[in-house]
Amino acid sequence: MCVSSKFQYNEKALENLRIKDTSILDHLIDHQSFRENSLKKNRRKEDKRMSLKDAIAKYVDDGDICTDAGFAYVRTPIQAYFEIMRQGKKNLHFIGSPNTNQSYLMFKGCAKYSHNSYVGAEMRGTDRLYVRNIKQGRGIVLSEWGHGSMGQGFKAAQYGMPFVASKQLLGSEMLDYNPYVKVDTDPFTGQPVTLIPALHPDVTIIHCQQADMFGNAKIFGPAVNDIALAHSARKVIITCEEVVPELQLRFDPAFTVIPFVVVDAVVELPFGALPGACPGYYYWYREWWEWIFRIASKTDEAMDHYLQYWVYGSDDQWGFIDKMSQHMGGSSYLHNLKRLERAEEYLIEDKGVSFDYQMVIPTSEGGV
Amino acid sequence: MAIAPANPFEQLAFNLASLIEDGMVVYVGTGLPMVGALLAKKTHAPNITMVYESGGQDPWEGPMPWSVGGAATFRRSALTLEMPHSFAMAANGYVDICFQGAAQIDMYGNLNTHFIGGGFHDFKHRLSGSGGGNDLASLTEKVVLVGLQDASKFPAKLDFLTSPGHLTGGDSRQKAGLLGQGPIAVVSQLGIMDFHPVSKRMRIKAINTGLNAEICQACTGFELLMPDGEIEQIPIPPDDVLTVLREEVDPQKIFIQFPPRVK
Repeated sequence: MCVSSKFQYNEKALENLRIKDTSILDHLIDHQSFRENSLKKNRRKEDKRMSLKDAIAKYVDDGDICTDAGFAYVRTPIQAYFEIMRQGKKNLHFIGSPNTNQSYLMFKGCAKYSHNSYVGAEMRGTDRLYVRNIKQGRGIVLSEWGHGSMGQGFKAAQYGMPFVASKQLLGSEMLDYNPYVKVDTDPFTGQPVTLIPALHPDVTIIHCQQADMFGNAKIFGPAVNDIALAHSARKVIITCEEVVPELQLRFDPAFTVIPFVVVDAVVELPFGALPGACPGYYYWYREWWEWIFRIASKTDEAMDHYLQYWVYGSDDQWGFIDKMSQHMGGSSYLHNLKRLERAEEYLIEDKGVSFDYQMVIPTSEGGV
Repeated sequence: MAIAPANPFEQLAFNLASLIEDGMVVYVGTGLPMVGALLAKKTHAPNITMVYESGGQDPWEGPMPWSVGGAATFRRSALTLEMPHSFAMAANGYVDICFQGAAQIDMYGNLNTHFIGGGFHDFKHRLSGSGGGNDLASLTEKVVLVGLQDASKFPAKLDFLTSPGHLTGGDSRQKAGLLGQGPIAVVSQLGIMDFHPVSKRMRIKAINTGLNAEICQACTGFELLMPDGEIEQIPIPPDDVLTVLREEVDPQKIFIQFPPRVK
């Protein structure tokens, strides 16, 4: 196939995915460049705090392999993605399990390539915007994964292993659409296994509840793939609800899962996961997701308008919250998001707290 | 006081719950499988342990999760870990059963969640992708498939094989190196199907009250095998179980409303 190819890829997948120049695939599994980058990183334990605008400007470059962290709309750094859009970053590759948020970034040209695992919002169904992105060539799939098999690639990277042998993806047609994964024989048992390489994204943004100014960070609730991502990406931006004193982490180290050494920037960003949820802090903004999936995603014009209003029309998360309050009956809505999350986790008394959700779009109107 | 009989979704949830035995570790996804698992926990299987893919496990009883990453999946959990850990529990034999939906299910229980019609590049409809589906189908001891059965959703040939069932039947799943027994049952609005022990082809096991094998076959795009003996009739859910389902498991009728909520 490609004789000058840096790495040896699954050739059938290259053909099926119509990838002629494999150099586009190299960076994700280039451990050497990852290690060289790590060695060059500032090791000093110093105050890494900066604004979100500065962190995105400094650490997210056009064409970077960027992660979708958290779990689609749970502790996902969505306000940071919005800043990526406002700064007009281009041609990012998106990787993550799930990889739900790539869709609107792709629509605006911020993301171009997808390492695909899952797009959509569970019961809210298929993401029609992503379907159009792929159909119209705004987005190009470079590889197909399951959540767990991609997660194993991040874990391999975290633990410094060149690849892992896995029991996932065997027998699946995804093997024919993933240049990175190969079927081999377990040398010990003689049984078939898949080989999954260590995956090294260029930049990961992880939204945590608490971090100190050096980058030691705590995650409450499911860590999903974020511990592995923090250790496998070349550049690590922590956005957090609160920056706490380092001493607090020393006296109460439970849930500290990201060490300062791997972190490049710390951004204090309250409500940085909105319109998603943040465990211990706030519930997701359900109406926003209903609007984007049921109405805005129907046409490019509607999506453009939606993003113009919510993303480009807000300077930061506070602008977003102002709009949310305006649409949801005032500032008490934000308080109610905090109450709902904490009640569902049973951190506060939940008797009398209603999780009822009235759909904002009448079901009789233009059935989907 | 008489209560309204079960609608098709409620019957489906009841049938799903019937496959869960007390004491099992259950891997739970969104939708009707979650409803079925919670129903089982609140009725005949109080000692099951739930595991969710984002990392939550064994949550304290509470509201039904909207999402497999939502707060109810780790509500006051003693321990909450990571996604690779959740799947590793399935690989290591600590998960007994999981439930999977799909856009297409074939006669060997293979699943498609990638696209419908055409090919990878010229599809008619692109779907959500694997998510955790491929991982669970590859690793879990017992896989139960869930779907609304009609000839297009149960076709003779998948447009794409995302998650492995019994592959091409016989011992092909084992030969491919996959773990677990693979699919053991399919639960639809019509009843419960299982797989022939040797050929691994889908066959009718039990049918909901009021339906018959002809109706099942008419709703299937391939030939369904018939059981050796008589086809079991599934009873209608008793009133007390329906009451639990409606008032405690899904009081907001998120998943059991029929016709369904618009998504």
